Amino acid sequence: MKQLIQLRVNGELHEVRVEPWKTLLEVIRDDIGLTSPKEACSTGECSACTVLVNGKPVNSCLVLAVEAQGKDILTIEGLSQGSELHPLQDAFIRHGAIQCGFCTPGMLLSAKALLDGNPKPTEEEIREAVSGNLCRCTGYNKIVEAILEVAQSQ
Amino acid sequence: MATPKLGYLLKLPKFDHLEAKTIEEACSLLAKYKDKARVIAGGTDLLVSMKRREISPQYIINIKAIPNLDGISYSQKDGLLIGALTTLAAIESSPMIQERFPILSSAAHQTGPPHIRNVATIGGNLCNATPSADMAPSLIGLGAKAKIKGLKGERVVTVEQFFIGPGVSILQVGEILTEIQVPNPPSHTRGVYLKLPARTAIDIAVVGVAVVVTLDTKGVNIVDVKIVLGAVAPTPIRARQAEDIIKGKAADNELIEKAAQAAANEAKPISDVRGLASYRREIVKVLTNRALKQVTTHI
Repeated sequence: MKQLIQLRVNGELHEVRVEPWKTLLEVIRDDIGLTSPKEACSTGECSACTVLVNGKPVNSCLVLAVEAQGKDILTIEGLSQGSELHPLQDAFIRHGAIQCGFCTPGMLLSAKALLDGNPKPTEEEIREAVSGNLCRCTGYNKIVEAILEVAQSQ
Repeated sequence: MATPKLGYLLKLPKFDHLEAKTIEEACSLLAKYKDKARVIAGGTDLLVSMKRREISPQYIINIKAIPNLDGISYSQKDGLLIGALTTLAAIESSPMIQERFPILSSAAHQTGPPHIRNVATIGGNLCNATPSADMAPSLIGLGAKAKIKGLKGERVVTVEQFFIGPGVSILQVGEILTEIQVPNPPSHTRGVYLKLPARTAIDIAVVGVAVVVTLDTKGVNIVDVKIVLGAVAPTPIRARQAEDIIKGKAADNELIEKAAQAAANEAKPISDVRGLASYRREIVKVLTNRALKQVTTHI
């Protein structure tokens, strides 16, 4: 029943045997062992499970792992260069744009995808880009301010 | 609809995953396994229904490896052609669609958050046949057609005919939707899609209203009009009595109010967790009024 698939996560090729009903989220967490994408709603409502697939944010709880072969997958573990934080991570920390931290990986990846395609977004565009990412601590303003600062400084 | 007790995290039920490499192969698999099989495109609706155990197909047929089902093209002769696997994000960001069919880029933009639009397809949005499908009212307003392929050949139906009832499309066993065809609108045509709720990206439409009008060369009289309502009937519906009230006339506030009231009367909404029927009817009136004003002023 299991299929042997190759997944490219954070530039590294992983060979895993997976059942067809496993989501990309389950395989990244349980088989590859990267736990930054979080599972909360399981139904594409909260985006805590955000990963970038070919540079675009998607809900990994609604992607079948077997259909993610051949694509470039990025999680937060691939965002920093060694111990050097990505400017977005640094800004999130300085702005206190992290409270419980559960939504943070998804927020950061949504923000990265936005800035990669649109280096100078407006505040409205930032809010739109993270509109699917729910923060139950409701710390949205600090998150938007942190992203805005990185956009203005680059 | 109560979610069965499945534990805190929703897991997918077991299934076999089949890769179709051609349209013929996909149709053969669908004909072979009938109601035991479902097509997966973006999967953003299908996988949620499966996790909630609303459906548990034994076979999932992936059609994403079939060539030429994904893409947007335009010509003066054929109008706009959108492959069924085209994502809503691609429709939203296409400069050609933004310029020539802005109502479609706007409707795509209003469908879910970016994460969903990056994956969800126009074909999936129609084939799931939910009354609230965000792409449907605008496509019906533009007179769009759906190309369907099956083992016996192909057929073309209007998007209006494509919807049969909640969750039921015109597709027969062994058929798949391959393309959406949108004709070139006449000059002086404008359209708008308004949706409630407009604020929160992840919400399903409580009401969606698309209005497409063609004005005469002076920009005064309404030569043609389509008013299409979403989420207020078993399928997206035309508000034909409302259309008849303003067709051939110059729109003024009084006439627009009459048409908006007629549209509200034509809606057949249900009451559910997202809104009472009476509330939905009122919103149909408000959005139809607003949409008609937007498309008939400042040409």
